Amino acid sequence: MISLQNVSKVYRTKTIETTALNNINLEVPKGEFLSIMGPSGCGKSTLLNIIGLLDEPSDGAVIVAGQTVQKYSSKATSRFRNEKLGFIFQSFHLIPDLKVIDNVELPLLYRNVSGKERRRLSEEALESVGLKNRMNHFPNQLSGGQKQRVAIARAIVGKPEIILADEPTGNLDSVMGNEVMDILMKLNKEGQTTIVMVTHDENMARKTNRLVRLYDGSQIQ
Amino acid sequence: MISHILKLIWNKKSNNSLLIIEIFLSFLVLFAVLSYVIYNTDRLSITTGFETENRWLIYLDRNNDGMDSTAIAEMKTTLKRELRAMPNIEAVSFTNGVGPYSNNTWQSSSDDMGFEIFSRYVYADEDFEETMGINVIEGRWFEEDDVNATYEPMIVNEFFMNEYFPDKSMVDSIILFDGDKRVVGVIDDYRYNGIFEEPVSTSFFLQPHTAERASIVYLKLSPNTPKTFEEEVSKTVESITKSSSFVIQDLSAMERRNSRETWIPMIALLSISGFLCINVALGLFGVLWYNINNRRSEIGLRRALGASRQSIASQFTGEVLMLTVLAVLVGIFFAVQVPLLKLIDIPPVIFYRSMLYSALIILTIVVICALYPSAQASRIQPATALHED
Repeated sequence: MISLQNVSKVYRTKTIETTALNNINLEVPKGEFLSIMGPSGCGKSTLLNIIGLLDEPSDGAVIVAGQTVQKYSSKATSRFRNEKLGFIFQSFHLIPDLKVIDNVELPLLYRNVSGKERRRLSEEALESVGLKNRMNHFPNQLSGGQKQRVAIARAIVGKPEIILADEPTGNLDSVMGNEVMDILMKLNKEGQTTIVMVTHDENMARKTNRLVRLYDGSQIQ
Repeated sequence: MISHILKLIWNKKSNNSLLIIEIFLSFLVLFAVLSYVIYNTDRLSITTGFETENRWLIYLDRNNDGMDSTAIAEMKTTLKRELRAMPNIEAVSFTNGVGPYSNNTWQSSSDDMGFEIFSRYVYADEDFEETMGINVIEGRWFEEDDVNATYEPMIVNEFFMNEYFPDKSMVDSIILFDGDKRVVGVIDDYRYNGIFEEPVSTSFFLQPHTAERASIVYLKLSPNTPKTFEEEVSKTVESITKSSSFVIQDLSAMERRNSRETWIPMIALLSISGFLCINVALGLFGVLWYNINNRRSEIGLRRALGASRQSIASQFTGEVLMLTVLAVLVGIFFAVQVPLLKLIDIPPVIFYRSMLYSALIILTIVVICALYPSAQASRIQPATALHED
């Protein structure tokens, strides 16, 4: 499903060269729930961005869902992200001026999906995270856990093959964090969705199929 | 996507209201100024119906003390003959005291025909056509013998014909207009109050140069007549009229002075509107930059969820365009009341054209101001923007 071959990422300025990822090799088969751990600044988010086609590696090959992503044009990359990937972020990234249902609809806006169908799929996604009754609320009317569940609904509304979660429980207390984790595990088990999750929380990481540890841009486990 | 943008605009209505008010007010100001400009400039393409180059006017002293009507007639005949005989003078004519650019009019209306006819009157002699380059489009100009005609001859402008006798020729017909009059000719126009004057029905009546009220002399000069020739004309007039209380004016200079009275306020208003448009443009530009900087994480998110660069640019341009369309529609609602309720007595089509031009100008400004910030928004790197929050 996801294959990283000798992936490196180097940020260069006129005076400094910073290696964010150093020769990473990683295989994530379909249906796996992989967690990535490591101290701050070790390159976890950079790795997730590269898998999510939000960033390009300086070196190496990234193959996602059978496609070598470097060959994509900007437009094709956008389409690929839209159809194959779902994103969940630590700070939720809900648009405050849109209702919950409209936030969930967002990925479908960039596909040829009718308004009626968008609405149906979004309600279905909200139902699956237990928030259908909140669909006409605005994000600022929700708790942190609810916001993250809305973000999960948004990530799954387009039925992606891969979900990339960047510290999804990082801003939540343990109860809410567990709720969110339960939803992700359910998605992984029942929907066979491949999930790559960056986390700082050992307890959450232990619930996943496999753990990869990074340190200073290199894979140590 | 349109409904999505509308939702965003609606949900941010308090933030957008100031921008809408600014665009709405700018539309109304532009509408007012453009209506005024169109109203005036529309008539620049219509002929005034007479020449002003190489034409001089002599305003005679009307105080003919000690002269009876016979003496006055003789004096004017002499004056006309002597002036005509001077080198550089190709034609001489007399009219009553209603001269060009004086804003004086002599007008009357009559309902003798069973409907009301309104017209301005101008009294001129048989040489006026040649002297002023009047364009007769049907029939003829006055002739000397017309003085003895059974029915008083009259010449009308095309506007008069279109207004009261459309689709038929009235040349040689008798009409009841302050008595029986025979229409002997139709001219294209004689808008003697300037190039910005609205077309109005105008009638000419024959007035021989010998008449007491024939007080303005019109001279047609040869091209390149020197200004110094005025002194010779002045001496001739003074010696014949025995008066120095006359004024010689260059008609083209009078025309320029007259036009300036409209051009200056028009240019001033256009300049003010231009500054207003620049202000609106700068304001929009600033608001867009501010919005985009405040919404970087949203842009990053949309890119992550599959929005292409083009979608982002279209969204931001679309948002500001929709706000503008909304403001312009409100503006049009108010502006359209002017012609509908006939608040100002000028042709409604001018207001409709002005609305169209104002809307186009505002939309163009908005598109120009939105393009660059929207393009910048589309270039935001999603990975960077998502981690700025």
